[in-house]
Amino acid sequence: MSDVLSVQDLVVVYSDGTKAVNGIDFAVNEGEVFGFLGPNGAGKSTTIKVLTTLLRRTSGKVSVLGMDLDKNQKEIRTQIGVEAQETVVDGDLTGRENMILQGNLHQMKGKELDDRVDELLRLVELSDVANKRAAFYSGGMKKRLDLASSLVHRPKLLFLDEPTTGLDPQSRATIWKHLSKLNKEEGISIFLTTQYLEEADKLCGRLSIIDHGQIVTSGTPSELKADIGADAIALSVEGFEGANGKSEKAKQVLEGIPGIANIMSSDDGLTVYAKNASTLVPEIVRAFDASGLKLSSISLSRPSLDDVFMKHTGHRIRAEELVKPPSRMMGRWGRGRR
Amino acid sequence: MGEGKEIAMSLFSDTQVLFVRAVKKLIRTPILLFFSLFQPIIFLVLFTQLFSKFGVLLASEGGFAGVSYLSFATAGIVLQNGFSSALQSGTSVVDDLTSGFLEKELVTPVNRAAILLGRLLTDAFRVVVQSAIILGLAFLLGAQFATGIPGVLVIFLIVAFFGLAWSGISLTIGLKTKSAETVFALGGILTFPLLFMSSALVPTALMPKWMQAVSNLNPITYAVNAVRALTLTGFVWTKILEALGIIGLIALITMGATLYLFRKVVS
Ligand SMILES: Nc1ncnc2c1ncn2[C@@H]1O[C@H](COP(=O)(O)OP(=O)(O)OP(=O)(O)O)[C@@H](O)[C@H]1O
Ligand SMILES: [Mg+2]
Repeated sequence: MSDVLSVQDLVVVYSDGTKAVNGIDFAVNEGEVFGFLGPNGAGKSTTIKVLTTLLRRTSGKVSVLGMDLDKNQKEIRTQIGVEAQETVVDGDLTGRENMILQGNLHQMKGKELDDRVDELLRLVELSDVANKRAAFYSGGMKKRLDLASSLVHRPKLLFLDEPTTGLDPQSRATIWKHLSKLNKEEGISIFLTTQYLEEADKLCGRLSIIDHGQIVTSGTPSELKADIGADAIALSVEGFEGANGKSEKAKQVLEGIPGIANIMSSDDGLTVYAKNASTLVPEIVRAFDASGLKLSSISLSRPSLDDVFMKHTGHRIRAEELVKPPSRMMGRWGRGRR
Repeated sequence: MGEGKEIAMSLFSDTQVLFVRAVKKLIRTPILLFFSLFQPIIFLVLFTQLFSKFGVLLASEGGFAGVSYLSFATAGIVLQNGFSSALQSGTSVVDDLTSGFLEKELVTPVNRAAILLGRLLTDAFRVVVQSAIILGLAFLLGAQFATGIPGVLVIFLIVAFFGLAWSGISLTIGLKTKSAETVFALGGILTFPLLFMSSALVPTALMPKWMQAVSNLNPITYAVNAVRALTLTGFVWTKILEALGIIGLIALITMGATLYLFRKVVS
């Protein structure tokens, strides 16, 4: 029994009729970091709430750490750690008090608890500010405190709902470092959700892409990328706005070039997938020149999870209001995105 | 074996943990305590002065010969504080609900009943502390205390129970609407009408007929009368028991509603 999490045909319909999760299956192995990558409203938080005993499912079979979700709620709660999407710390309490409280709620106390709290504060680098009220912590510090307080009782399985959303790149990298360490050194299995391709790529051994309450594909990041079987060329055309005449014409131009099979259009341009993409770039430029359409940028990259996402859902993942990865628009000739 | 005992233990220790958390929060935001004490203190210091000549009328018409208005009104002001701070109780539950703290509690094995019990104990504690401050100030200003310290302890008991019964209303509204503003507004709307239409500030005998009728239906009147007996007359057990009976009845209804809504949120 090496599955710490097993989900079969999970369906969640909210009381207003919203079908937030629509029949998903997946399993997480012991010691694994497993991710759900999906855009706003995909059903990530809903899934986590069900798996952490907070929300009742409509149907489906779920076992957490080998236990039945309906029969062993209390036992499950003693063995899982949960960090919700919204950071939750009590601003009136100090960092340390927040953690002690969390330990108390898990029936821990005394020296055992104090030692564990010290250890975790050190791990997330908050020892210096441990006795300061959490209200005065920065966003990144609060997130780290929240993470640390979900670990006090040494959970076997950790649920993280968008653990780095809204953080600056540096804080995000710090959290990634902590998570990798926890997974490797304490052997904690982790189920996380994210809207960041890079996060899924860096942290997850395996992941599922979820959209509109359904899993569209699953695998290791490299499997998923290899599955695309081609490099991506992203183009933007002057005056291009979604599906207008120009986009149709641009598509026709591209279709005329041998070796180009898969053409996808999105709000900011067109992406084509091809085996030996670098040799095609000059041809594409020439073809566009001849057609009278003006290319404003063209870039070439190894397939990324974004491309995987695009291929399976027909749209790009958008993490609005978040710190975005460098834009792919600005004429970056032949430079690969990671 | 011993599962019942284990649950009882966790109820006790979890309630304690959550009570301590709430009290810490209360102490660290003294501004909240200050705001809720502000009104009663103004009443105690200014309002009683404004009505100081009222003592004559109290003696001739109200049946309180030789009692200063300050001494008369102290009981009313203590209970005013009791119910206006109890009416805010729901806001902390709404806070925990909207901040996600409640969910963070619920993913731990914490005893569910302890979440509510911890909250209620905190409310009772707060009302008693505030009452102690008000009574202390009244004493310094020269108000009468016929039953001394034992009487004051009974007053704390009445006020704590009274606070709990009213907390129930606030918690119910809070859990139902999940809006702190609504809870606040409710407190603002209810406080003065209920206060004026009770025996808190004026003896019922001096009110117009229709108001007397309302006042006699107002539970605050009974709590005030019991506390007033303790400050002005002595241990009048009929009044004390009457007050506790009526408060108990209200508590039964409001706590029932709170429990019902709370279970819906928790499950
Ligand atoms: N309490 C609720 N009642 C009704 N519908 C809800 C409720 N909570 C979420 N939904 C809906 O369910 C769907 C999935 O929401 P969910 O919060 O699981 O998405 P998510 O993947 O976590 O998105 P995000 O990345 O924005 O956090 C959305 O359409 C959302 O509007
Ligand atoms: Mg979410």
